[in-house]
Amino acid sequence: MKSIDYTPAPANLLPRPLPRRVDPLQLVTDSPLYARLGILLFLAMAPTFAAAWLDDRMLHGVSVWQKPLKFEFALGVYLLTLAFFARYVPVSVRESRANRFFEIIVALAVIGEIVWIGAAAYLGIASHFNTQEPFFVLLYPVMGLMATILTSATAVQAYAIRNNRQTRLPPALKVGIVLGLALTLPLTLISAGYMSSIGSHWVGGVASDAGGLNLMGWVRDGGDLRVAHFFATHAMHSVPAFALVSAYVFGANNRRPVMMFAVVYVVFVAGVFLQALAGRPFI
Amino acid sequence: MLETLFSTAGALAMAGWLALLASPLAPRLSDRIAAVAVPLILSVAYAGLVLANWSTAEGGFDSLDNVALLFQSRELLLAGWIHYLAFDLFVGAWEVRTARAEKIRFFLVVPCLILTFLFGPAGLLVFQALRLVGSFPRSGSRAN
Repeated sequence: MKSIDYTPAPANLLPRPLPRRVDPLQLVTDSPLYARLGILLFLAMAPTFAAAWLDDRMLHGVSVWQKPLKFEFALGVYLLTLAFFARYVPVSVRESRANRFFEIIVALAVIGEIVWIGAAAYLGIASHFNTQEPFFVLLYPVMGLMATILTSATAVQAYAIRNNRQTRLPPALKVGIVLGLALTLPLTLISAGYMSSIGSHWVGGVASDAGGLNLMGWVRDGGDLRVAHFFATHAMHSVPAFALVSAYVFGANNRRPVMMFAVVYVVFVAGVFLQALAGRPFI
Repeated sequence: MLETLFSTAGALAMAGWLALLASPLAPRLSDRIAAVAVPLILSVAYAGLVLANWSTAEGGFDSLDNVALLFQSRELLLAGWIHYLAFDLFVGAWEVRTARAEKIRFFLVVPCLILTFLFGPAGLLVFQALRLVGSFPRSGSRAN
């Protein structure tokens, strides 16, 4: 096996094992299903925007179509991230029958979530925490199961990448990607699961999205459990992004800063979770 | 008379859509039915309705009010409906042909056909989006 030189790269270059020019199409060859579904979700934002513009109906003080827009974007980013990290999963694992089957299940779960949230918007009712419509009440646990399935894709990738000795990634980046992916599922399960068990993401304050934080919609006058869910699920971005910076600053062979960051990040997510439980706004 | 025309046109269009759903079994026959025979018969009916009623119709294409006025004539309302039926089916047949030529699997085409049948342009939108994402690896990326 060819050994890889991890001596610090000149400041203007990325660490060697990263391609200097990222081929966006590699996402599609590495994970055809996730990448294509992710792009389809971005494309679906166009008609959803049109509907938001033409539809006067509001829910919690904002357009009924705002939530489908957010979920199309978020799940699109999620799937494209998985498709990006798929390059570090061995080809034999990626192309195995079991993995293909698993990817189809995840894709169906994503489609299920979007159809559910889109249908609720179409009917002008709440998707999550709906206690009025019997069908939606019945559906809610099923959607929770689907959300768990689709999030479990991060844990599967974390495991496959951790066991891959030929990622050609410097240690700092590899541990960052593995830890970020590995933390996403448990952190999300706790933050989102708790939110689901109490039946609301608002703690105190006015139950409305109207005066919320720009873009995110988190309340400014009470606790909002969506904050913790957001940061929990973005562990898959935050920790690898820190690892990339750390590879420059502390060296590509140095895994310790990345591991320390992961611990700090968990504490941070726990902090915003407790902050929301205490009924205090994020900002 | 108008009612008979309406239900005949509807039954014809439905036959065309069923032919499209059966297209994997008989691609050429289904294309002849859904892209040629049914749209042309419907087009003849449409042309007849327009020729017979356009000169006495009120309204026009220049404002939404005028279009609404146009459709207050039941004959032209029926013509407009047959226009939908003919063109939606033609587009559906084009989707099936295109998918076959580009090796898009049929189970992905079925939802597009259903959407095109019910909400014409929405089905076209979904079909083109599927075509777009399906075309990515073929546009020259290296295999890993």
